[in-house]
Amino acid sequence: MALILGIESSCDESAAAIIGTDRTIYAHRLQTQEDEHKDYGGVVPEIAARAHAQHITPLIEAALADADMTLNDMDAIAATAGPGLIGGVMVGLVTGKALAMAAGKPLVAVNHLEGHALSPRLVDAELDFPYMLLLVSGGHCQILRVDGVGQYRRLATTIDDAVGEAFDKTAKILGLGYPGGPQVEKLASTGDPKAVPLPRPLLRSTEPHFSFAGLKSAVLRAHQSGDYGDADLAASFQQAVLDCLQDRLEKTLREHGGMKSLVVAGGVASNAAIRAMLKTVAASHGMRFVAPPPWLCTDNAAMIGWAGAERFEAGLTDPLDIAARPRWPLDEHAEKARGAGVKA
Amino acid sequence: MHTLVIDTATEACSVALFDGDKLIAGNYAKLGRGHAERLVPMIAALPGNGKADAIIVNCGPGSFTGLRVGLSAAKALGLAWSVPVTGYNCLGLVAIMALVQQDGVDGVDVAMHGGHGEFFVQPYAPDGKAAGELASLTPEIAAARLQYNLIAGSGSEKLVSLCDNARALSLWPDARQAMRLPEHARALPAEPVYGRAPDAKPMAQQAKTR
Repeated sequence: MALILGIESSCDESAAAIIGTDRTIYAHRLQTQEDEHKDYGGVVPEIAARAHAQHITPLIEAALADADMTLNDMDAIAATAGPGLIGGVMVGLVTGKALAMAAGKPLVAVNHLEGHALSPRLVDAELDFPYMLLLVSGGHCQILRVDGVGQYRRLATTIDDAVGEAFDKTAKILGLGYPGGPQVEKLASTGDPKAVPLPRPLLRSTEPHFSFAGLKSAVLRAHQSGDYGDADLAASFQQAVLDCLQDRLEKTLREHGGMKSLVVAGGVASNAAIRAMLKTVAASHGMRFVAPPPWLCTDNAAMIGWAGAERFEAGLTDPLDIAARPRWPLDEHAEKARGAGVKA
Repeated sequence: MHTLVIDTATEACSVALFDGDKLIAGNYAKLGRGHAERLVPMIAALPGNGKADAIIVNCGPGSFTGLRVGLSAAKALGLAWSVPVTGYNCLGLVAIMALVQQDGVDGVDVAMHGGHGEFFVQPYAPDGKAAGELASLTPEIAAARLQYNLIAGSGSEKLVSLCDNARALSLWPDARQAMRLPEHARALPAEPVYGRAPDAKPMAQQAKTR
């Protein structure tokens, strides 16, 4: 059994974790930056980078103390190397490099998206490759076929906004503050999902991709019209998202059958309505549905430690001069989806 | 007692290992960018992987990203080796380096590249002590406020071009020179001195300025 220190600093959560290749989580410390960013209505990169620089080392120290371990007990140091806000990624990656060098341990530079993609395997020892993955977060909305560690085939992606971005922007329109996803979900539970007519971009389209920018704009117009209550707007928005996700996922599952498991990961996977819909879709295709617990869906270091553990066991380590990457698609060979501002 | 010095706060990237005040080994490169890739291998190339009983790091002001790279590495090494980490001021080291080179001057103004085309500027007396406050200023305003005839730092040539009777000394901080700083000046808290607030404005403030 190997022990991995995981470090995460790619967006607005600073975190450190100690994970065993036997799936034991020995420690996990997380410091959110919600307070630092809330007055700005979103994550400010420079403020995030400053906060990571302040928090990362104390979090690692605390995680080691929680586990009653030292750096010498670790077998490898894993740090997020991208994609994400580059100032923050650099803080965590340089910290990881320095720890690895000082302790004489290998460095594993982890793709944050691979952290999400493999996280279900941390809590479910039965989940074998290959599996179908819906990756939904503030920066991404993709369907991927996961064939193994480092082996991804992107089957669909968003051509504009990520789904979590749509939630956050809707929250901003409704004055719900940041982070908006959980607030929209909460408000939606009290509203009528059929009250507001909203578009379902790319519904039944022959291309496999997602689109959410038009939906967000429609929410803004409906809100400005003054004809609808906030709860009905939130509920109708969430229903439109559900319909889009289901339609696009069903299309991919029809065209790429044969997977035993449907897996969801990423921050938006903590949304209960989305999980319920996915469970139904999986059942109708005779697939097992696997969703990590909500705390493991949002950004954390346990998933970075676990992805580090999987890569370390596969013999994949990295040199100390590796560069942080603001963009880093899981499937480097995926065709470019149409549209501007395509999320990798 | 060995001391590791890390300096990544400017376009230059340098490391040094000292035994007391004596330099054992060091490296200096004018990188521009790429400190996050180069720094740890540079430390690893020092004798014994740079392992020391204390770490000193340039805390800025300078490049926001650069000084975070240096501080992150310094703090991580401090944790790994269980040794103390302290800091020194970027302009303070440039001032000492200039005063050593130019003996007998009545003082030096230090000017280093900052953000948005501004310079971080501060005057220093011949004994290396600050003779005024740190400021982030446009080149024109900085040039008008100069106190001495000698201007040192990455912004010195630009400022000299804007005023009469001044001499420029293009200099970047170098970890190998850090022990020239008096002891108290390298015992500052290992916290970043950004010298500028982030550019983002809170939503309430944005609404007011609209």
